[in-house]
Amino acid sequence: MNKEGKIGGGLAGKILQVDLTTGRIRTESSEPYAARTLGGRGTNSLILINEIEPGTKWHDADNLLCFGAGSLVGTPAPGACRTDISTINVFNGGKGSANVGGSWGAELKYAGFDHIIIRGKAERPVYLYVTDGRAEIREAGWLRGKTTYETENLLRQEIGDERIEIAAIGPAGENRVRGSAVLIDTAKAAGGSGVGCVMGDKKLKAIVVRGRGKIDVFDPAGFMEAVARTQRQCEANRAKVQSMRQSGAARFENLDFEAWETCMVIRNGQDDYWERDKRARLMNPEAGIPSMRRKVRACFSCPTGCMPFMEKTRGKYEEMKGEGFWINALWSVARFDISDPESAVAFWLLANELGLDTDYVAAGLAWVFECYERGFIDQKDTDGLKLEWGSGEALIELMRKLAYREGIGDLLADGMVEAAKKIGRGSEYFLAHVKGQPSIEPFRIPKGWGLGVATSPVAGRHLRGAIRGPVHSGPGGDDYDIVHYPNQAKAVVWQAKTKELEDNLGICNYVGTWSGAHFLNPGNYAELIRTGLGLKVTEQDLMEHYAEVGRNLEKAFNTLHTDLSREDDLPPLRFRQEEIKTGPYKGFKADEEKYNEMLDEFYELWGWDKKTGMQTREGLEKIGLKDVADRLEQKGKIKG
Amino acid sequence: MDRLLEREDMTEIARKATLCYGCKICQLVCSFHHTGSFWPERSSIQVFRNPQTGIVRWAIDKTCDRCGNEGQPLCVKHCSYEALAKVEDERQEGRNHE
Repeated sequence: MNKEGKIGGGLAGKILQVDLTTGRIRTESSEPYAARTLGGRGTNSLILINEIEPGTKWHDADNLLCFGAGSLVGTPAPGACRTDISTINVFNGGKGSANVGGSWGAELKYAGFDHIIIRGKAERPVYLYVTDGRAEIREAGWLRGKTTYETENLLRQEIGDERIEIAAIGPAGENRVRGSAVLIDTAKAAGGSGVGCVMGDKKLKAIVVRGRGKIDVFDPAGFMEAVARTQRQCEANRAKVQSMRQSGAARFENLDFEAWETCMVIRNGQDDYWERDKRARLMNPEAGIPSMRRKVRACFSCPTGCMPFMEKTRGKYEEMKGEGFWINALWSVARFDISDPESAVAFWLLANELGLDTDYVAAGLAWVFECYERGFIDQKDTDGLKLEWGSGEALIELMRKLAYREGIGDLLADGMVEAAKKIGRGSEYFLAHVKGQPSIEPFRIPKGWGLGVATSPVAGRHLRGAIRGPVHSGPGGDDYDIVHYPNQAKAVVWQAKTKELEDNLGICNYVGTWSGAHFLNPGNYAELIRTGLGLKVTEQDLMEHYAEVGRNLEKAFNTLHTDLSREDDLPPLRFRQEEIKTGPYKGFKADEEKYNEMLDEFYELWGWDKKTGMQTREGLEKIGLKDVADRLEQKGKIKG
Repeated sequence: MDRLLEREDMTEIARKATLCYGCKICQLVCSFHHTGSFWPERSSIQVFRNPQTGIVRWAIDKTCDRCGNEGQPLCVKHCSYEALAKVEDERQEGRNHE
């Protein structure tokens, strides 16, 4: 194979480097990076590991905030719209990464850049305007405190160009709330790892992009054939496409959908079973979530379209509307035992306006509710709020306080693990977090899901290998049951590898192997890369080389920058100790011994040390990462 | 409307707004037809979307040649939502209604 060959198309070709401290702006070629990593997140990861010294904190000026459009973004490859945002993870100092759709990444490429790397910190609020090969740092004091909606409207007025695309933070990011997101177009959130918090710390309110340029591919005719073929593959799975077009949440309108039984976490993890009448109330066709869904929208170049536009009329809360409502909203409110649909929709849209990561809010604040229930905090601490299970009003108000650092919000904004230390009284045990980041994920029933989340290199989240049955597994890797332990690790690794490829190419996971329909598969990626980027790769090259490069770069970053260990690859303590109390899976828990057996297999499949989970020189050199192995050795992290 | 009179064959591309998800692929493949590159600025089709209102605005200009050399207009071929069609007469249904 032509490993790390020369890129012959698909890229804009440049990386934009912006130093907010000095105001200096320069560019460099993106091609050598993409040849090594396939681009997108891979390139962001390579830049981070090369340029950030161990010991650097997320809030140091030397931390980098890297935006990277995938290498097929800007072409009509199905679902090629995604942008990765990588930085130091605010929750543990290791690798942080969040991924987002929309049209921003494509516009960035038409403006001439595959990546924007932000270093330093501005003295006063600024925004960055990037267009047609150049960039300008502009004053943004006038946007201070504005929600993402207001920011978008004001920037459109100011710039007077309908075609601009905006990545912005809301008040939460400005206030350095740890779980802050970067919002694309007000509705698509790069949520995890606190990327919005880092952006706020750098006093960067928004990045506006507008491009009038073009993207060329290596073999235009061959590429268009591959595109047409992959589009037909999607369309062939009509039933699945239709289900997605009714939005991801539509499947949950079927109250017998198995994920209701296997994937819910209730009252902050006191149980994993939610009664049917509550599901029915939330999803009621006349008055529930479906009744507020007006239409569905698609991201750039996406054939499946899964983004509902919600409209909530005036009721308990203000009138609200917007794109991007997702099934995590159901998980989120169930965590508070809230079955009121109006609260679910308000929760989601308000999080987008304030620039908060919904997973962080749900997992973090459900823990605060439990602290209240257990008497670790009381109404004096909450400014009079009664944090009672089922109360949507309490959730919405607490979330607002969090974003603006009001009262108890100030305590929670610095991170839930930190807050648990201050609250004390054993409260940390009840906080579900993975490597420091609060987690909404289920661990006790779906074992491959739990393994994928717990081993994610970016502090949890389920798009790094979590699986929920054969629909998420590779060829021949489906010999397991969702709820049992055997044979899960192999499927988790397959899923994690495909995520590496998708996030580097910028193809949405939902069009790829996460869709449950496998609209696209690694064989398709190889064809799109051959014709689009001009790299002569096979499916095997992708899975055994490039996917491993991506994952190993992030793993190595964690090893260099943190003390994360095997223990940190296990589910949160509570789920290992407490059994599910009701429902069909009563008595289930995350058995530590069996999870450890899955870990053994998982590490072996990646070629890591079975006992410690650490990388080896041999494994790294095999995939061309000798420089990374040297770096780890210098810091005493691996043996020579 | 006037622009239609400039056309010889009286065919045009029409969009059913209720089926359109605003993915912009029509704009992109149209630019490929004209330039061999992915170059939205050089497309006969322009798509604007407002995420706060959910409204997608779609416009096609007279540079559209219905992809005469392609067999089928690329925008119609690549629209996964079946929102676009080549129509013979603009009085037929669904020109561009929201």
